[in-house]
Amino acid sequence: MTAGQPPRRMYFEDVQTGVPLETPAMTLTQTHAALFASLASTRGAEPGTVPDLLPLCVSSGLGWRVPQPPLAVLAFMGFEWRFLKPTRVGDTIHSVSKTVTKRSMKEGGVVIEERSILNQHGEVVQSGRLTLLVAKRPAA
Amino acid sequence: MSGDPAVYFEDIQVGEEYASPGRTVTEADVVMFAGLSGDYNVLHTDAEYMKASQFGERIAHGLLGLSIQQGLLDRVVTAQVTGPLAAVKWKFKGPIKIGDTIHVEARVTGKRDGEQPGWGVVTMARRVVNQRSEVVQEGETDHLVGRRPA
Repeated sequence: MTAGQPPRRMYFEDVQTGVPLETPAMTLTQTHAALFASLASTRGAEPGTVPDLLPLCVSSGLGWRVPQPPLAVLAFMGFEWRFLKPTRVGDTIHSVSKTVTKRSMKEGGVVIEERSILNQHGEVVQSGRLTLLVAKRPAA
Repeated sequence: MSGDPAVYFEDIQVGEEYASPGRTVTEADVVMFAGLSGDYNVLHTDAEYMKASQFGERIAHGLLGLSIQQGLLDRVVTAQVTGPLAAVKWKFKGPIKIGDTIHVEARVTGKRDGEQPGWGVVTMARRVVNQRSEVVQEGETDHLVGRRPA
């Protein structure tokens, strides 16, 4: 990497705790619900609602669409999640997240992220904590 | 809603166990999930980059594995047993690689009153197991299940 250029990836050392990050939003459609149900072979949700796990899955993609380099994730280690309100077809969701803890390990570091998914009314529909293993900056 | 016989909160017993059929996770599954979720992380989409990684190849999204096991369990339990999700605690313990065949084993570990009258909460421990009998994901799910009408 050349000095002065933005890093192509965000490493463990670059992660700051407590800084809120808001993603762009996405409107969930009947197409999303049907694609998810066919891919996962889940039972159809109540008509007009989207599968419980879909907003969480979409929030992982929204998380890459923020104005910063992608996080150098080595592995998604786990998460704890609560489903607070149903999401309906036509709802527009986005997520707000921040790193609450980072812990250096031998190989990379553990980053714990708090994330909430909100709908167009500003209601939190799902929220929880995700644990990621993130790479350290390679030695120059 | 479905043709399943009605099962109520009162009918579900702690200790009940379920095992799903297997499903082979394909490249198509991973590509579709990347498109649907928008998660194009190199872990799942860049075969060349991943050759040099600890995994040696692309791996399935953890949340794809979670979604697939949900669908697998849906195939062996009546609708009400896996009612609306209230909470999930989940650990991704190992990679799911393209071509791996996974199934889910689940056990009811607890029942409690729901916050709303008419509903109970059923807790289920789940393990996602691959063709080598390795547990690749495991965790606990809480579901809302309706009580038998008075």
